[in-house]
Amino acid sequence: MSDGANASGTEEAAAHADLCVIEALRQGDEAAFARLVDQLHASLRRVARLYVSSRAVADEVVQDAWLGVIQGIWAFEGRSSLKTWIFRILVNRAKTRAAREGRTVPFAGFGADDVGAPEAAVGPDRFWPADHPTEPGRWTSPPRDVGASPEHRLLGREAGELLQKAIDTLPPNQRLVLTLRDVEGCSTAEVCNALGIQETNGRVLLHRARAKVRAALEPYLEGG
Amino acid sequence: MGLSTDMPCRELVELVTAYLDGALSGGDHERFEAHRRTCAGCRTYLAQMQLVVGSLGQLRHREVEEDGAERDRLLGLFRTRGLHNREPRERSVPLGMAGELATPGDHVGYFWESEREFDAAAGFLAAGVERDEVCVLLGHDTANERLLAGLERRGLAPDELRRRDRLHTVSGQQPADSVLGEIGDRIRAAVDRGVPMIRVLGNLGWEHPGWPAERDILRLEARVTDAVRNLPSVVMCAYDVRGLSGRRLLLGGLECHPLTLRRAALRHNEHHVPAGQFLETLALDAA
Repeated sequence: MSDGANASGTEEAAAHADLCVIEALRQGDEAAFARLVDQLHASLRRVARLYVSSRAVADEVVQDAWLGVIQGIWAFEGRSSLKTWIFRILVNRAKTRAAREGRTVPFAGFGADDVGAPEAAVGPDRFWPADHPTEPGRWTSPPRDVGASPEHRLLGREAGELLQKAIDTLPPNQRLVLTLRDVEGCSTAEVCNALGIQETNGRVLLHRARAKVRAALEPYLEGG
Repeated sequence: MGLSTDMPCRELVELVTAYLDGALSGGDHERFEAHRRTCAGCRTYLAQMQLVVGSLGQLRHREVEEDGAERDRLLGLFRTRGLHNREPRERSVPLGMAGELATPGDHVGYFWESEREFDAAAGFLAAGVERDEVCVLLGHDTANERLLAGLERRGLAPDELRRRDRLHTVSGQQPADSVLGEIGDRIRAAVDRGVPMIRVLGNLGWEHPGWPAERDILRLEARVTDAVRNLPSVVMCAYDVRGLSGRRLLLGGLECHPLTLRRAALRHNEHHVPAGQFLETLALDAA
């Protein structure tokens, strides 16, 4: 658990770093812009790909987003982090483009972050019923221990492919939240801010997505 | 420990993400920790979820494609399209009128004579809607109503645009400073939401009830140019050539706008007077 004072100190430092970058961009500092591109371009491309059909269109969307950053920087007041703002621009452009392509757009329209019917993270058959006399709601078959160096098993090609496949088969909203949060390493608050959704709903979607990926990878997670 | 405080495994597995985010309430956090200490199955589940999260983070490093040409293109974009550049900026924003292109930061005086020319200004807004921009109307009621009717004729629904935060009205019935402040706020709020560009269409209410006096409207016009120069916005103010006095057309229309749109042509305006000089002259006139 993070120490509150420390966390806010880190946030302050990040906000200060953002201010420096914002000021540099406003002054036309090309090196500062190049660093920002190096830091975020690959992430923006991956997220854009979740909205539009082809790599070429995704690249156009990303270029449009960068143009929005370049031209919007004087109007940006730093109410969110620079990174969150850039993702928000990207999501905005990607939605527009996807709608034009006639594609279903994640989180489009009012109340779009409605999480829908409950989904169990783990199948109900893995737990004793709530009215069980001695073990109510406890595991019938608990997951097996992860054993030694599970990271190794997960880094193999087979597990990698399984992981990608698990992500690809997630519902679009869950896939988007998971990609931003776990692949790109944004905080939950940043993800929800960029997507314009409620944090509680974002976390529910994230949890469902992680639970599905865990289930798909279960064979690689258990020690031999 | 009573049943009410115990956290069943089935409940814990639903709270893992909130737990890892530090987002559980104090009571839930304690129950989570208490259960975790005593249940090997749940400890394993938590460890597995952490492994999943960790391996997802690895994907970020796995597929980085270096694309030098793309990087150069973006740097070029920064160099040529960044608003740190003074003039000349690349004209890339379709004005929606007369096939002309504007550039972010423009402040255009539009001189209209016929009703047809007035209605053409709705095209400026429609082009913004088409490009998913935000439109801001700063005008007296009669002008605003006609423009909205013009949008409807173009198949757009003003009410729906308002609901989607794509169309706003800024009232001119307040002090000139507040008008300028509110326009700036609208632009910044839209940019914050990730909107690419904001168009402002002015039909200033000279002599209209509640609007600032002539001198204050002129001061407002003079200051708009600098206020929006570095913002992703195009501001266009419509001037009724037949209805407005010569002084308003000359000082407000010609001297306050670096660009003019007249008879379907967007032109650089040699008569534009920098704000500082304009305001000084205006003060001398008054003295």
